[in-house]
Amino acid sequence: MPVVESTTRRTGGSTPHRAPGRATRPRRRQTSGLPWLLSLPALLLLAGILGYPLVRMVELSFQNMRLRELISGRPAPWVGLDNYTKVLSDTDFWAVVWRTVAFTVVAVIFTVVVGLGIALLMRRVARGVRLFMIVAMMFVWAMPQLVAAQAFRWITDSDFGVVNYVIDKLPGVDYQNHSWFVNPWQGWSVITTLVVWAGIPFIAITLNAGLTQVPKELVEAATVDGASPWQTLRSITLPILKPLLIIVTTLSVIWDFGLFTQNWVLRDGHPEPQYQTLATYSYTQAFGQSRYSLGSAISVITVLLMLGVMAFYIRQMFKIGEVD
Amino acid sequence: MVATTPGAPAVRTRSRRRVDEGVITVGRSRAATIAANTTGIVFSILMLFPIYWVLNTAFKPADEVLALTPTFWPKHPTFDNFLSAVKAPLFLQDMLNGLIITLLAVAGSLVVGFLAALAIARFKFYGRRGIILVILAVQLVPFIALLIPLFLMLQSVSLTNSLIGVSITYLVLILPYTVWTLRGFISGIPRELDEAALIDGCSRGQVFWRIILPLTGPGLVATSVFGFIQAWNEFIIINTLNSPEKQNLMAWLLQNQTTRGTAWGPLMAGAIITSIPVVIFFLIIQRNIATGLTAGAVKG
Repeated sequence: MPVVESTTRRTGGSTPHRAPGRATRPRRRQTSGLPWLLSLPALLLLAGILGYPLVRMVELSFQNMRLRELISGRPAPWVGLDNYTKVLSDTDFWAVVWRTVAFTVVAVIFTVVVGLGIALLMRRVARGVRLFMIVAMMFVWAMPQLVAAQAFRWITDSDFGVVNYVIDKLPGVDYQNHSWFVNPWQGWSVITTLVVWAGIPFIAITLNAGLTQVPKELVEAATVDGASPWQTLRSITLPILKPLLIIVTTLSVIWDFGLFTQNWVLRDGHPEPQYQTLATYSYTQAFGQSRYSLGSAISVITVLLMLGVMAFYIRQMFKIGEVD
Repeated sequence: MVATTPGAPAVRTRSRRRVDEGVITVGRSRAATIAANTTGIVFSILMLFPIYWVLNTAFKPADEVLALTPTFWPKHPTFDNFLSAVKAPLFLQDMLNGLIITLLAVAGSLVVGFLAALAIARFKFYGRRGIILVILAVQLVPFIALLIPLFLMLQSVSLTNSLIGVSITYLVLILPYTVWTLRGFISGIPRELDEAALIDGCSRGQVFWRIILPLTGPGLVATSVFGFIQAWNEFIIINTLNSPEKQNLMAWLLQNQTTRGTAWGPLMAGAIITSIPVVIFFLIIQRNIATGLTAGAVKG
């Protein structure tokens, strides 16, 4: 494909003034400025609202922008690598990094494994049950993040939450007025449950759609040849599903690594140090403490940490031919 | 994808079912099937539980919401929570703001995005792959990371605390997705249709108005609905850029939480009101996306 593209481009490019040929061969020789003209508004908007801030973010991270500069409008002084040395030598920051990474690993594994399991399950259940599963997941998928987080905040409320009530009913367990967020392990399991709960529908439904592409003959042949269900899954289903699995996994990594809403809301908009992730940490530094430059430096580091995963995702998109 | 198409021919359903069962029973016991079905049902109930609990709470009177022994059904169902949510300060104001912002963002993004999608889907030109790369990449940039410079930038041109500033931001927020999805829909229209029209004497503009635009109709609906959902659900940016009287309902839900503490009933009722448009829209397009777009267009 790229070869074809480059040759047509070249032939077209050598005759920029010749309009004829257009009527007989519409699109192939199209080298006028029209496509660029069509893309221009979108590109300008992206450059202005995404591109410029991106550059400005890097710039800010080398300056010292505080509330004083913001109010007076004076240019912030350049401070070189000061923000980065400050951030990178801060043990709190590294705690946040490892916490974010650990959360991402756990949440993604749970979401993908359960999502895949549900997708496989959907192929085996009766029609009515499958419909019920799809409807349930659609409702969960449709829930706005903030609303879902508020729902979980209410369910795990220490005084009137239904989770405490139900657990308290177990013999020999006293969970009355139990606060889920005193112990960070418990608090993070609530947050992880929320993220996994909200993430399963996308993965299960996408993978289920992918599973319908697995040829039945292959599975049947394997079964007839005496393959165990596990062998069939490993040697037939998963390889066919692999491109799709990679895409949903990388997307989950990107989303979970940027965790903000869930821990923000469950901690009432003031996450304690042990509930900070990179996104909330950067936000708190900037808007809570007016350390805009320090916050920017943290954001730059966050984006750099994610760059590998993003590149992988884009490469995968090109590879499976989503991009023609 | 979803079996929600109403009035699907019953014959087909039945025949497919037979095939399904054929696969399932190969090497699989009855007990395993029962176990699978049970797991599916239990899973669905667990998934639905938080939503059910929100509804349950929203219809309870205050004393039942704050009962030490929660009931699994409102004993005296009431709309009081909904009324006090709607009457709460700024609720209607923020709802209106949200609608204005969302509609502006979606409309703008649709126009701008459609043009770009047309370029990517229908033309081969130098830089096309570059544009695709940009569109894909910017979708992945965490917007929160850009919030600091965005805030400073909009502040310097006096666009913070305004509906316009947020609308433009949301427009760009949903733009990459819009371009990407519309590109898919436009690519789905067979080029033979364009070519046939050109041969029949249509101009390029007519091809656009009479073929591409109408055939992208469902795509435009689906894309704008997805854009609506994204813009409607956003609260971090607007909460940072604007003061409460210039925010949307999601940000209202957040404010309501931090200032009023535990008014759980009205909060859950407000959450339901806020979610209703999103949930309805989501369920609609889920079907829309599933319908084959122009599968039969070439045959006539």
